[in-house]
Amino acid sequence: MNSKKFHLWDLPTRLFHWLLVLCVLAAVVSGQLGGNLIDWHGRVGLVIVGLLAFRLVWGVVGSSYARFRQFLPTPTRVRAYLRGDWQGEGHNPLGALAVFGLLGLLTAQVVSGLFSNDDIAFVGPLFELVSKNLSNRLTGIHHLLSNLLIGLVVLHIVAIAFYGHVKKQKLVKPMITGWQEGEGESATGGGVLPLIVALAVAAGAVYGASGAWLPEPPPPPPAAETPSW
Amino acid sequence: MKSKLLLALLTVTLAGTAIAQVKTEDAIKYRQSGYGFMAWNMARIKANVEGQYNKEEVIKAANAIQAIANSGMGALYPQGSDKGTGWEATRVKPEFFTNKEGVTKVAMAFNKEANEMAKVAATGDAAAVGAQLGKLGGTCKGCHDDFKAKK
Repeated sequence: MNSKKFHLWDLPTRLFHWLLVLCVLAAVVSGQLGGNLIDWHGRVGLVIVGLLAFRLVWGVVGSSYARFRQFLPTPTRVRAYLRGDWQGEGHNPLGALAVFGLLGLLTAQVVSGLFSNDDIAFVGPLFELVSKNLSNRLTGIHHLLSNLLIGLVVLHIVAIAFYGHVKKQKLVKPMITGWQEGEGESATGGGVLPLIVALAVAAGAVYGASGAWLPEPPPPPPAAETPSW
Repeated sequence: MKSKLLLALLTVTLAGTAIAQVKTEDAIKYRQSGYGFMAWNMARIKANVEGQYNKEEVIKAANAIQAIANSGMGALYPQGSDKGTGWEATRVKPEFFTNKEGVTKVAMAFNKEANEMAKVAATGDAAAVGAQLGKLGGTCKGCHDDFKAKK
């Protein structure tokens, strides 16, 4: 009973990760199928806004291995890792590149989606704030980014399979259980107060993105009735 | 006698297929107007499904879409009109003019659902209208995905 293990990923980080997996999957499917699912695409997008906002705050105030500073992929670290000299736990420098890439792309993706339109019957919740022309441009970017994102997600999964089969490093299990086998210091920090702060910021971000604060459209002119023609 | 008959036949045939010649710039304007007008009617139906449902409003909107769908808009895509500016620069892809089969498929799908939309609207069943709106929108997307350039 002396197997060594330590706490790597805190529960909020794991929940974030798997909820994001579900939401991105739902967003891709609903976006591709269209029809009435486009309304769900918009709702899922708002959930992703919340998840991303949470993760960005948690990357500063979360527990040690979840912090961005802990796994910043500096050129020195990436070079060391490629030489095989890197020592550490959590995201390795190459994995960190993927993490920042995915977070960055997803952020650009949700932001462009908020202002988008499909030239059918759907507009993003903040569409009113931009011109139709700009909305069209952002919609084009949204489509382009979706392909890049799918590519990066595939790379992410292939890399995990590679580490599992070739390098014999199980990356998925710690992301589920939180525990990593081997010697290492358990994660510290990221208590209740930071969690409340991160959740509050996430809620604020969703509210902002939802456009619920936008002024009501002006009431229709007081015509007594719609003309019969 | 024979030549007279032939002439008459020819006249009828020509009259039957007569298409007003339209300048490319106008053709692009007309088709953009058609899609813009349909967008208004799609939004109207959606607003009725999501808010206070007004059967008459929805019928008007659905009939408008049906009329445009059945108006033979295909005639507004003369060769070479993948370039040009109507109200704004056209966004139809060159593939539209080379992939006749694909275009016919998405166009027929749209016509079918537009006709169905008008039928469903006549029933006044808000839930059915909502479902049909999704199907109809899906056929718009079918063409946008393949034949409308992203900005």
